[in-house]
Amino acid sequence: MIHVQNRELVVPGQLIAEGDYRLRDGTFREGKQVYSAVVGLAELRGGEIRVIPLQGRYIPSRGDVVIGVVVDSHYSGWILDLNSPYTGNLFVSDLVHRKVDLLREDINKYLSIGDVVVAKVKDVDERMRVQLEIDQPWMGRVEKGKLVEISPVKIPRVLGRKGSMLKTLQDVGRCRVRVGQNGRIIVLGRDHRMVNAVVEALLMIEREAHTSGLTDRVRLMLEKIVSGGGD
Amino acid sequence: MEKPEKLIVDGKRLDGRAPDELRPLKIEAGVLKRADGSAYVELGANKVLAAVYGPREMHPRHEQQPDIAVLRCRYAMAPFSVEERKRPGPDRRSVEISKVTREAIEPVLFLELYPRSVIDVFIEVLQADAGTRTAGINAAAVALADAGVPMRDLVSAVAVGKVDGTIVLDLTKEEDQWGTTDMPVAIVPRKKMITLLQMDGHFTGAEFKQALDLAFNACERIYEAQRQALRERYAIKQGG
Repeated sequence: MIHVQNRELVVPGQLIAEGDYRLRDGTFREGKQVYSAVVGLAELRGGEIRVIPLQGRYIPSRGDVVIGVVVDSHYSGWILDLNSPYTGNLFVSDLVHRKVDLLREDINKYLSIGDVVVAKVKDVDERMRVQLEIDQPWMGRVEKGKLVEISPVKIPRVLGRKGSMLKTLQDVGRCRVRVGQNGRIIVLGRDHRMVNAVVEALLMIEREAHTSGLTDRVRLMLEKIVSGGGD
Repeated sequence: MEKPEKLIVDGKRLDGRAPDELRPLKIEAGVLKRADGSAYVELGANKVLAAVYGPREMHPRHEQQPDIAVLRCRYAMAPFSVEERKRPGPDRRSVEISKVTREAIEPVLFLELYPRSVIDVFIEVLQADAGTRTAGINAAAVALADAGVPMRDLVSAVAVGKVDGTIVLDLTKEEDQWGTTDMPVAIVPRKKMITLLQMDGHFTGAEFKQALDLAFNACERIYEAQRQALRERYAIKQGG
């Protein structure tokens, strides 16, 4: 028995359904009843219920790609700000992928405070201590590009269904776009104008995240700038 | 103001309300840009602003709880909120209200989701006319939901009391001052759970029951207004 429509706006404590459903984020159960825990859009898919949040902080979870800023270094690694209640810890060996003799080698040559790093969340323990790693060649220290910060709950919209929005941004905007699940995005491109246009597009996505046909509007806006129009 | 001879004349109160009538209520969510969540509540002449920050990293670190988030509440009255200038800063009264507010809200939060962090709630009374702690709780609940903090339900609160021998809802400053009893009540509406109950004055057993019923009914109305405020805040966003 379902009490709301698909994609209906729900508020905390609102009854969504009664019965055996699999619960995802943003919901909780009391007896047979399923309630929303946050303000968001209730999504019912198969036997699954979740609430897409409209607001909230980034909470690290294993496997996420995040963009961090180095805020401190310690004996064997660095502490990264993740735009979250929790900081991330990156060990040297998870950055350079070999055994590092800490007595002989000065690790400050790899990263310094203020550096921006693309990393993967390797593990999060029950006390929310976050371990990071660099396990792809394209991860690691960011050398250049523009860093944009948007609300973390809007990141799925930046990616789009099966990455369609991201593809539009990259292909039409002629930029490389790296998206961190924590709401940080790096835009890299040769043409300043296009980089700025993509940044504008990202801010537009954040503003208009819950409207339909957004990918088309973003495409239109970028195409106009490519063809020399716009401002 | 002098004490009027009668606080209730022909079943009407000084401001013309019936005994079981609320003052005009206005709730708006998301009024502050820099806070993670916020709400503004007007209840008659009361004007209350609530701001929520977090969950965020807890400082000082030694106050962190390894397994849950900590809820911190601060209730404060602006110096210009009352007739005689109030000396700013925490005093005995606002420290107490901060504590009972925290305890009224804590049961609805999923604090176990955010170990080691803190959720800060700031309640600022801009203009006071009795019942500011309940208005503050109403605002704080909406602000928390606006911040995206997972909650089991909202919290709704209202004061009831006895004035000239009559049980009345939502006392004004005059009624609070010259009435016999003032009882603020906060509930979790869905589960009908009381999370705050204070009383200044006297009730008989029967009066207490009657007053509590009145408070529960009023909380239902406030609850609906809170939910409506949240829906309105996000409906605008949906339209683009």
